[in-house]
Amino acid sequence: MRTKDRVKSQDQHILNLAEIVGGSRSILYQKEDLLAYDCDGFTIHKHLPKAVVFPKNTQEVAEIVKYCSENNLPFLARGAGTGLSGGAIPLNGEIIISMVRMKKLISVDLENRRAVVEPGFVNLKLTNSISDKGYYYAPDPSSQYCCTIGGNVAENAGGAHCLKYGVTTNHILGLEVVMPNGEIVEIGKDGIPDAPGYDLLGLITGSEGTLGIVTKITVRVLKNPEGKQTVLAYFDRVEDGSQAVSDIISAGIVPAALEMMDKTAIEGVEAAAFPVGHPKDIEAVLLIEVDGIAAGIGEQIDQILEVCRKRNVREVRAAGSEEERARWWANRKTGFGAMGAISPDYLVQDGVIPRSKLPEVLSRISQISGESGLRIANIFHAGDGNLHPLVLFDARIPGESEKALEAGSQCLKVCADVGGTITGEHGVGIEKREEMRFVFTEEEIAAQTEIREVFNPHNLLNAGKLFPSPSRCAEVKKEMKAQAIS
Amino acid sequence: MSVRELDLKQEPPCTSGLGNYLWSDPPDEKKWADCVHCGMCLESCPTYEQTGQEQHSPRGRVHLIKSVAEGKLQVNEQFMDPVFQCLDCRACTTACPADVDVGGLIEEARGQIRQAMPLTGIKGAISKFFLHDLFPHQNRLNTLGGLMKFYQKSGMQKAVRKTKVINIMPQHLVDMESIMPEVKEPVKKKYKDVKVIKAKGETKKEVAMLTGCVMDVMFSDINESTINVLTRNGNDVVIPQSQTCCGALHVHAGDRDMGRKLAKQNMEAFKDFDKVIVNAAGCGCMMKEYAELFKEDPEMHAKAEEFSEKVEDISKFLHDTGYEKPKAEMNTRITYHDACHLAHGQGIRQQPRDILLDIPGVDMVHMPNSDRCCGSAGIYNITNPEMANAVLESKMENVPDDVEMISMGNPGCMLQMAMGVQKYGRNQKIVHTIQLLDWAYQKEDRVKEEKE
Repeated sequence: MRTKDRVKSQDQHILNLAEIVGGSRSILYQKEDLLAYDCDGFTIHKHLPKAVVFPKNTQEVAEIVKYCSENNLPFLARGAGTGLSGGAIPLNGEIIISMVRMKKLISVDLENRRAVVEPGFVNLKLTNSISDKGYYYAPDPSSQYCCTIGGNVAENAGGAHCLKYGVTTNHILGLEVVMPNGEIVEIGKDGIPDAPGYDLLGLITGSEGTLGIVTKITVRVLKNPEGKQTVLAYFDRVEDGSQAVSDIISAGIVPAALEMMDKTAIEGVEAAAFPVGHPKDIEAVLLIEVDGIAAGIGEQIDQILEVCRKRNVREVRAAGSEEERARWWANRKTGFGAMGAISPDYLVQDGVIPRSKLPEVLSRISQISGESGLRIANIFHAGDGNLHPLVLFDARIPGESEKALEAGSQCLKVCADVGGTITGEHGVGIEKREEMRFVFTEEEIAAQTEIREVFNPHNLLNAGKLFPSPSRCAEVKKEMKAQAIS
Repeated sequence: MSVRELDLKQEPPCTSGLGNYLWSDPPDEKKWADCVHCGMCLESCPTYEQTGQEQHSPRGRVHLIKSVAEGKLQVNEQFMDPVFQCLDCRACTTACPADVDVGGLIEEARGQIRQAMPLTGIKGAISKFFLHDLFPHQNRLNTLGGLMKFYQKSGMQKAVRKTKVINIMPQHLVDMESIMPEVKEPVKKKYKDVKVIKAKGETKKEVAMLTGCVMDVMFSDINESTINVLTRNGNDVVIPQSQTCCGALHVHAGDRDMGRKLAKQNMEAFKDFDKVIVNAAGCGCMMKEYAELFKEDPEMHAKAEEFSEKVEDISKFLHDTGYEKPKAEMNTRITYHDACHLAHGQGIRQQPRDILLDIPGVDMVHMPNSDRCCGSAGIYNITNPEMANAVLESKMENVPDDVEMISMGNPGCMLQMAMGVQKYGRNQKIVHTIQLLDWAYQKEDRVKEEKE
């Protein structure tokens, strides 16, 4: 909060944008301030925006977008900037439209199990605001303490409990969107699910901010499950842990969450702020949560304990208290940030594989780690085969960022090769543009960019994300990465 | 060694810098190496909550501090703004999965800024008056306290308020004047000639006590309560007369040289004791971090670490060594506010609550976001009144309606919260945790006397 209210800039665009948002407190344009916006949770690419504006309402967003569009200024929307694939990085010196001041909970309609929020509303705050009435919002990305629901929509965010409840797109009932020409449209009006016609909600959700800017969101809220129990299981062999995951699902149980961490990941979380005392010498820990009607929980837990024992578990137990359960989850959910305790930088990948391939893929990732000389920790949603290999590196050592990118890319190649795909919930962003070629042909990519052109014909909105530039071959790819790093 | 003598010993100019940090004692590279930019700190930060701007978030600040070291930014006005807008509340260190010491980085960066751009003009004069000419000198503070006492007792306070002379002051100073506690005799002065304040009954331990600067002038009754509670629980209390201000305000303001001088003086003053008891969260936290000031002096660094081990907040000390549970019923509904430098700075959350709950008839109502900063933050409410008020407003929204008292463990918070109560038309009494315990003991004694 600066007391001087005058915008001191020679740039007419800055002055005009400041006018739209109402003065100096709602615009940043000086290098020192802009630097805080040169990347998001993906730190390998950095670029300064031209300005950051803070609209208060949909009208202002529309005016900003219209202004940018008419003046050929590239622009993009940003929430809390916790994304892991670089979706909010201003690659082209964009005007960043920060949505964080649009953070109201507009309405809650428990009878019809829905709520309307502004895009800057923080994910966890929704659950916190309705939990006393026995309701919650299911998608729970690990960054839910601070990420915004608008950002969740853009990235189609997942989370630990998406195994049973589905990712963000399964919980979106309606959107108000500012189109790249400044027009305001409503999709899924009144929050009635499954409207006739094309599934535009599905198209916008997960479009990584390339089709429009979401300004109002109607989400589904759920009744708290009657019962809930969490089990922790330690394994001496990754193979046993992976096999236990498959066995649990095969037994017909649908856990609310089924998470796994390997030895390096455990080292990280135990060295960081929320340790729970996992033994240092185990190869894998599983965190399994079941919920539902209270009467059925005990039986499911018994089944899970049984499966784990068959797979040579070293130790397995259910949480003794809500407090213990909460500690286990805090330990798991702060896992990515915890890597800071054992490495200066990390790069997280987001591959998806068929569950049955888990042991094979993990052993190939371990090979990649050996060959690159970089440690790779694995924290992942084992239940739905969504892997998060965390490549640990030190950007200060020349050449190590490139090595990390290469190792990350190889991990994704492995996932694609076994019949999986390159992203489960973090999005493609900048990071995995080229890897899109592992799973799509040139024609398939072209078909998708044609869809983008319908919404975003001049490609001013978040350009350079999600798809590789057409006809770029491997050499160009290498050059791009080199450029990005320098 | 007095402060004056230390003043004369100038530190040598630095030759080794780090990027665009050109002075000695630059921000510590190891501290930001832990930050992986995950953003888990954002929502914990009161200034990010208010502005929504990432340069005013912990992650943004760390990024900027690192950028100066990388040569991408200069130490200039624009860099100063985010670094000095930080409340130093340390909520981000609690939230951070990787334990990044954001508070430490901020203070080191402030040290660089103050050397690059010494405060000049009226700002410089005010800062020098408070930090150099006032806080380190107990006698001057006492004089000021005396003047305030005169102001209150002579009817001048009434006159000033009535004649509206007060309206010429800036609003935040008017707000502060209105909640000024009644000034009594500082305990450091009162016990000047008492070597040891003896325990009541058998002596179990001898402890030294920091009387603090603001605490002893504005809240000497809390110091009095602290002495009562300590002696009642078998502790001999010593108040070393050579102790001085803890230096927290100086370090927060970037005056690390003065911080070092005061630290040295306190380490000397308390060197003969095993325990240094502190009843002000901010002072306790600072004294536990003295070693941070001596990163470039291994010998002092080791000494400071040893010293910090001895420093303990009163609530933790009582909790760990045991205390007599009061028997008198207090019959009051209260809520508890976590001072940042107790909860985030020293990890002390449960101990004060346990003490309060041990008092019969105390009904504790939960305060949502109780560990959110109140906006006091040392002298932040004087230097950044606008932000401090915004933070206070959001704090007051969380104070439950139906309580009679708000208890806490830091004098800065007490003044700020008292202002909040006044400003937002609330009627809670602001108390220090130890005061409430002392009152319960006193009531117990009175009841006993009446019976006899």
